[in-house]
Amino acid sequence: MKKGILKRVKYDIFLVGILITVGAAVLLTAVFNGQGGEYVCIKTDGEVSAVYPLTENRRVVINGANGTNLLVIENCQAYISEADCPDKLCVRQGKISMKGQSVICLPHRIVVEITGQEQKDNSDIDVIVK
Amino acid sequence: MKKIFGLFLVFNLVFVLCACESETNAEKDGMISATREIFAMDTYMTVTAYGENADKAVEAAEKEIYRLDSLLSTGNTDSEVYKINSTGEGSLSEDTEKLIEKSEWIYENTDGAYDITVYPLMDLWGFTGDKQAVPDDEDIKRVADVCGFDKLTYADGFIKLGENMGIDFGGIAKGYTSDSIMRIFEEYNITSGIVSLGGNVQCCGNKTDGSMWKCGITDPDNHNDTGSLMGVISVSDKAVITSGGYERFFTDEKSGKTYHHIMDPKSGYPAESGLKSVTIVSRDGTLADGLSTACFVMGKERALDFWRKNSDKFDMVLMDDNRKIFVTEGIAKDFTSEYDFEIVKKRQNCDNS
Repeated sequence: MKKGILKRVKYDIFLVGILITVGAAVLLTAVFNGQGGEYVCIKTDGEVSAVYPLTENRRVVINGANGTNLLVIENCQAYISEADCPDKLCVRQGKISMKGQSVICLPHRIVVEITGQEQKDNSDIDVIVK
Repeated sequence: MKKIFGLFLVFNLVFVLCACESETNAEKDGMISATREIFAMDTYMTVTAYGENADKAVEAAEKEIYRLDSLLSTGNTDSEVYKINSTGEGSLSEDTEKLIEKSEWIYENTDGAYDITVYPLMDLWGFTGDKQAVPDDEDIKRVADVCGFDKLTYADGFIKLGENMGIDFGGIAKGYTSDSIMRIFEEYNITSGIVSLGGNVQCCGNKTDGSMWKCGITDPDNHNDTGSLMGVISVSDKAVITSGGYERFFTDEKSGKTYHHIMDPKSGYPAESGLKSVTIVSRDGTLADGLSTACFVMGKERALDFWRKNSDKFDMVLMDDNRKIFVTEGIAKDFTSEYDFEIVKKRQNCDNS
């Protein structure tokens, strides 16, 4: 009887081991797929105003409909660090990094979204001289 | 059983380690980069650097921008330029002395087409503030007579202006600043980077994939649409700076005529030289900035003559009032456009001889 329980515990541990392995594999795939392809797309009043690679650290002042928000892209994560909107909900939405995630500031009509592709005209041009 | 369990633990450990490893590698392969967006010198600037010290380099660049802005601003009462303009004299710091020397070279070699002493004229036309208007002919003549680099003297780090004179490095300061940033990039071992100071561009090295930087030149007739370009110039380690009447202008309500901000120092009126835009490509950002103004004022023929004598220093792309594009031969192979363009050779054709 005792032996039987011990065996079952061993199988349980075995099962947990498999689960952890599968979990790690899934995580690994997510990490691999998550690298390199993402862009931070900024939409003000429904229109794309700027697109930045998620891999480049930067701070961007977004001029929205009724005020401004400070977007920080850091270590492959994007978040609103400051805003002069009344509710500050955008700041509280925290950091985003996965495709499809977004931070929205309704009072300023700003949407910051992680996208899979750079959505920009003249995408092979690095800079505009004017 | 214990062995199998142990094996799984090892597997898990390896997986976790791999996960960490892959993250750092991905960062390395993608090159660490840093970008700053800065509001200074009355414009919007972006500074980008790639490499291990990217963050530190762009931080140092930002500080340098603020330092030069507070030194060269005509409106900041603490600036060196403001003090010189308000008292008519003053000592020159290392930066302003270099700027004066470069300005003098351009002034002398372009027959006065670029002149830092047009400041009182800019003020008269209202281009130093928000309200622009066409001044009286008499006032223009009176103020134009005061202007002229030859009416100022400088020696041993001290400058003296003539009566009612004023100087403004606005036509050269951004190029000087991007030159300084390139030196900062070098100090931080940045081999790839790009700055745009309100559309004045300077590139450090090549892109991280080894290819040249592609700089789109704004179409003077469609300047509000960033998708509309008159051409694309590929460069490495060079400044690309454009001057055009489309940048700042106003329309006189009475006559309906449009006046832009690039003054012809000789006439005291905005330059009407038959050019819509001038783009200078040079290793020297300060020179490129000053020459973009000078060549715009000189017009096509004089600008090309000047280029023939100095083709080791710069190249250029011109667009005339009929939208004809001219590219000097030094950069012709790196220029593309959906419009036709003419390549200007250093040696003029000798068909007649």
